[in-house]
Amino acid sequence: MSVAAAFATWLGAFFIVLSEGRRGLALGLALTTIGFTVLVWIGGEQLAAGAVLLGGAVASIQRLRRGREGWGVMPPGSTSRLVLAIGAGLLALWISTSVMTGPGATLRFAVLTSLAMMGARALSDIQPAAVLTVVAALALSVAVASGMADTGPGPSPYFAAGLIALGVSAVRVSGSDGA
Amino acid sequence: MAPELAIGLPAAGSLCAAALRARPKAAFATAAVLGLGGVAAMTLSIPGRASAQLGISLAMSAESRSLLIAAAAALALVVALAPVLVERATLLAWGLAGLAGMAAIAAAPSLDLIILVVLALAVLQAASAGSRPFATRLRGPVFAVVVLALAAASARGDGPPILSRLAAVGLVAGLSAALGTMPYIHRFEPEERTATSPIPWIGFIGPVLALAVLARARDLVPSEGAVFGALMIGLGLLNMLWGSLASWRTEGGASAWHYSFMADWGLALCGLGLAVVDGQRAALLVLYGILLSRLPLYLWSRQSLREKRPNDRPINLLAAAMLAGSAPFAGFAARVLLLRGATQVYWPLALVIGFGLLLWLAPSLRLGRSLGLPRGRQAWGVGVALTLNVVIGLYPQPFLLLAGL
Repeated sequence: MSVAAAFATWLGAFFIVLSEGRRGLALGLALTTIGFTVLVWIGGEQLAAGAVLLGGAVASIQRLRRGREGWGVMPPGSTSRLVLAIGAGLLALWISTSVMTGPGATLRFAVLTSLAMMGARALSDIQPAAVLTVVAALALSVAVASGMADTGPGPSPYFAAGLIALGVSAVRVSGSDGA
Repeated sequence: MAPELAIGLPAAGSLCAAALRARPKAAFATAAVLGLGGVAAMTLSIPGRASAQLGISLAMSAESRSLLIAAAAALALVVALAPVLVERATLLAWGLAGLAGMAAIAAAPSLDLIILVVLALAVLQAASAGSRPFATRLRGPVFAVVVLALAAASARGDGPPILSRLAAVGLVAGLSAALGTMPYIHRFEPEERTATSPIPWIGFIGPVLALAVLARARDLVPSEGAVFGALMIGLGLLNMLWGSLASWRTEGGASAWHYSFMADWGLALCGLGLAVVDGQRAALLVLYGILLSRLPLYLWSRQSLREKRPNDRPINLLAAAMLAGSAPFAGFAARVLLLRGATQVYWPLALVIGFGLLLWLAPSLRLGRSLGLPRGRQAWGVGVALTLNVVIGLYPQPFLLLAGL
């Protein structure tokens, strides 16, 4: 189950990196949310998993309502992003399973791949709807990353991340720059 | 309950000011009352004592609390003596939002929560109307968030020792990216409003953020103190040289101010990197100077910069002396402490820092002239900023004691 959840997280990040349209971005965020929710749930933090699910789900639904029409998955010129998404996944897999040791490899993979891909996406040429999706996914990733600590972080980072994802889904960017 | 109130009251003040935008006087009065309540809560909070009224254990260190109070004082000074054309309620709303974020950063129990607060502040700032595109404004802080989070993940993972070393590098790099110092300078548009520009990161939120991140980072990778120190000193020297030279040679007056913040951060990073008390004290005095003097003077220079009215009166020379860190201003005490700390650690470092300090003179004269001829509220503001700086320079001990140093 945790392997499937980690894969779902990578797939979600993959769609966020490769999509320009609202449907593709929403699908990516939804997959990332589901993956993280399952991983946090397996870690024994049910309340935290609920916060991640709520924040991510609302942000995904809101993303369906704003942004460029359609799926917009892999528009022309996205080869470099495709290479990035696959390369980041492989690198994160190697680091989380071979370089880092101990239990929780799936959580490490999900966190590293999501953080790296969201960071790379934010640095590329990007439209506001995609930035907001990246921010929501990033907030969830940071919260889930806190679960790698030896002592449990408690539910506070997850609630904070859920709130950020909710808040980001309500942001309207003004002017010509708007989504 | 004090940390919760220190976060909640300024946040409520900011929200009230935004909600009552149509009635500026009511907005200003409500926000001012709530903001003052927040400052009182900060002042009355006992450093190190945790409060968990909201289910999260919140506690402020003495250093962070002292800088929060300094930031609140800077905000009060800037709002009370704002230029005539600036809408005070809007300025107060932005300032209180920043102050609430800073209080949350200072009181957060873990690095993860600090990172999330930084992300929230970045979105809040980028979502407001400004001349830079939305994605561009978010780029620097989001990059900082990613690097800090990756560094924290590396620190927590079991594995070879290189992981904790990489974590130390990532934490310093992430902090630098959040501040907008070399080598991660945020894109700066001279005509942009200050609230939406990179200046709040480097000149307002930065001091508290730096102390909070470094405190958590040292807990996260306790074995890498030497790596932290070396990186901070290296970045500090780089910023000192680049910031002062660029501030002197750049064409735009506003850009010169932006670079001058970077140069000051160079001093602060060097001080924080020296693992001796004198270095910490020097860094704290520099950060006081950024908050209480450089930031207000930058705001008051904006109009003169727009109108291109440089001036060479005594007030401009005094401001230049203060910005250059000459006696009896706070910068002088900071520089003496920094040189003493560097001598204790490795004396050739003191020579390098001493050489770097000479580079402050020319850009400071330029910045002092850019203030123009201060009149009315602006003149009062410059006077208060100079007086505060002299007081800190002559009697630094009470301000250092406030920070527990």
